[in-house]
Amino acid sequence: MAYAFSKFGAEGWSCPKCQQPLQPVEVNVKYMGSSFFVELPGCPTCGTILVDEELAVGRMLEVEKLLEDK
Amino acid sequence: MQHHILESFEQQCTQDAPPACQCRCPIHVEAGSVASLVASGHVDEARKVLERHLPLAALTGRLCEGPCQEKCLRQDLGGSINLPVLETYVVTCGRPVKSFPLPGTSHRAALVGGGLSSLVTASELAKKGHKAVVYHLGPLGGYLRELSPQRLPPLVLQEAIESLRRLKAQFIEASSLTELAELLETFEAKDFKTLFIGLDDPALDPKALGLSVVDLESDPVTMGISRPNVFVVTQQRNNPHASAICGGKKASGSMARLFQNVSPGTAREKEAISETKLVVSLTGVEPAPQMHLADPLSPTPQEAAAEAGRCLSCSCLSCLPPCPFLRQRPGIYPKKLAREFYNNIITAFGNRSSNRFINSCAQCGLCGQLCPNGADLGQFVDLCRLDMVSTNHMPVSAHEYPLEDQVFSNSPAAAFLRHQPGTSESTYLLFPGCQLTASLPETTTDLYRYLSSHLAGGVGLWTGCCGAPGRWSGRLGLTGRTTEAMAKAWQQAGSPKVILACPSCRLTFSRQLPFVATIGLWEVLSGLELPPTAAPLPGPALLHDPCAARLDEAGQDGVRAVLTALGQEFFEPALTRRLTMCCGYGGLVDQAFPQMGELFVSERVKDAQHPFIAWCVMCRDRFNAFGHPALHPLELLFSPPEAMILTPEMPPGISKRRDNRLNFRHQMLSEFWHETVSEDPSMNLNIDIPGSVLEQFEEQRILVSDVTKVLEHAAQNGPTFVNQQTGHSLACLRPRQVTFWVDYEVRTDGTYLVHRAWCHRMTLPNVNGEGQESPASLEGFAKTGGRV
Repeated sequence: MAYAFSKFGAEGWSCPKCQQPLQPVEVNVKYMGSSFFVELPGCPTCGTILVDEELAVGRMLEVEKLLEDK
Repeated sequence: MQHHILESFEQQCTQDAPPACQCRCPIHVEAGSVASLVASGHVDEARKVLERHLPLAALTGRLCEGPCQEKCLRQDLGGSINLPVLETYVVTCGRPVKSFPLPGTSHRAALVGGGLSSLVTASELAKKGHKAVVYHLGPLGGYLRELSPQRLPPLVLQEAIESLRRLKAQFIEASSLTELAELLETFEAKDFKTLFIGLDDPALDPKALGLSVVDLESDPVTMGISRPNVFVVTQQRNNPHASAICGGKKASGSMARLFQNVSPGTAREKEAISETKLVVSLTGVEPAPQMHLADPLSPTPQEAAAEAGRCLSCSCLSCLPPCPFLRQRPGIYPKKLAREFYNNIITAFGNRSSNRFINSCAQCGLCGQLCPNGADLGQFVDLCRLDMVSTNHMPVSAHEYPLEDQVFSNSPAAAFLRHQPGTSESTYLLFPGCQLTASLPETTTDLYRYLSSHLAGGVGLWTGCCGAPGRWSGRLGLTGRTTEAMAKAWQQAGSPKVILACPSCRLTFSRQLPFVATIGLWEVLSGLELPPTAAPLPGPALLHDPCAARLDEAGQDGVRAVLTALGQEFFEPALTRRLTMCCGYGGLVDQAFPQMGELFVSERVKDAQHPFIAWCVMCRDRFNAFGHPALHPLELLFSPPEAMILTPEMPPGISKRRDNRLNFRHQMLSEFWHETVSEDPSMNLNIDIPGSVLEQFEEQRILVSDVTKVLEHAAQNGPTFVNQQTGHSLACLRPRQVTFWVDYEVRTDGTYLVHRAWCHRMTLPNVNGEGQESPASLEGFAKTGGRV
């Protein structure tokens, strides 16, 4: 199990369907044939995951580029 | 990629070929490196370089006659570099390099003669651990003893002989020539495998040694003679010292090969004196006279540095100055880059760290034009990109947006082909290209109206993308499908002559659709009267030829003819026509590596004193976006500015460009062909995106249409997340191989106010649209993240 990035910065967001505040959820992230587990904010009931802007344009983008050059 | 492709390219780029002086030197001393190090005061380093080539450097460094001076390119620019003086200085002042002889072997060589060639041969053999036994008559050194003590202090010769003794070379003084002559016949019986005869020792008489005239004709490569295992160096009139050193080195090399049962003459071509392949431009080199030396045998450090500083450090690098891609790292040139790219491509494990670099070449062809041998790195990069795509190693993100743009431009929403209204066949088809309709839709409309009223036989209109982005990115599948569809459309239209307004389209048509009859727009316009709206700028301009048109002389002439007829005052930049520069759009550099794209455009505008007139609309847009005003010449014909343009006009962003293409089709079909165009089936949400957010979209290449899709999905299915504290909602959708997130709020009037949007390519569970496939025309790259 590898953690390429872990982020929990989803203050105030909640799942409208389940009426649940978000909690850290371990999810399987995939790209370019690689897959790994990371901890991201998500709905503890339905499992919907939130990727905030800071993560998407920061560490996640870096990892995407690394995997593209593998 | 096969290795011979790399080899073929490497032969074209001769930057690392040895310069003329090194090729002329019998032992190939790197004179340029020595001079460069002396000039910068690194005398110890210079000595290291000398000792790589010169055996017994302290001795031989004082003896060089400087044959390199015959070929020095400074010869007619103040006089050749005085390398003998520099060598003397280096071996006098530089610290000797510690040598570590190899472990001893059982191989023994007999050396006859005590001259320079014998000493050199003994040194070379002894360093390799072989036993060298020198038989001599009289004192060692031969004619070296006749040199003045200033030229060769006796102590230096003595030191050289002592150093040989320390290397376990043995010196035996023979009593007579007869004894030596006998050795020639019996050396093998005395357990010597090879015999060397150094006739540069005046004490030796060939006849007395029993050598015939034939024996004196040694092979120029091995120094071997007709007798087996015997090597001879004779006294030469020209450059006697250099010849003796060279002969000794060659003979010792041959003997060492024999000891290892290797053929003495194989693969030694590079040891010969040769002509250089390096091409050096002397343009702009000012003459600089040779240094006057108070004492040539003992130059001061200042004198040596000044003389060394005259060296031109010969190199080619003619392609480097105007290209920011080649200049971005010191010490690189096309041959080196090609090998780096090749190694990147054949990487089996580990990172392919040059992927981005390969995608940073504009493939504009300028290096090929500047190279004396025509080495075009862009063509090599093209092969690299094809290989990366075929092996599924092309980064998805590098060209994703322009490829999708190509597919969009050729979709029914944006592409169409019609004969001139009221006709059923066309003599001409105007193909404006996808970027002209995106940047200047009204001007394109004016152009079509003008051509259709001035050319006989009917002028049809054909919009779409020629496929240049797909070809640049190495996607042959997409390129093939685009080409096939275009050929079919053209044939169904009756195969009319296609008027190409875009230089990149013209290049792409000539490569991908060579059977299609085409003509450049500016060749057509130069034969017509000017439109009544045409007017020149109130002041002068610089004419920029696009890189795609560097070989399109007819197009270049056509533009100039139109501007001249218009009365437009214009200047040619220093690099123009065949040598014009790229704006950074070529090869999709700007898409894969925006910072490199900026370097290209800044290189072009850095000395520009006037607005540009650029006949490629992408060049025009990029100059403007960079802050330098530019116009397309079509604007001068159909919508000329009333005053001199001093401030750049910001070109439309990526979303506006798509809207312009859609609207162009809509407007043209309505106005000219009176067709009813079906409305966009979208939900027509009222979306408010502030300007600052739109700027962020541009940077991240997020289209307004992507955001609209996300919001439409959220309107139907509810937001993904809500924030009670801020009242914002968050929606996400993965309509293609990218997941988009939109942070928004719904105002009381129902308007969707967008606060932020972002995207990523990684896939997560439970994302709307997960697994949704992208258009098949992207040949699977979008379906599978590049791993088809």
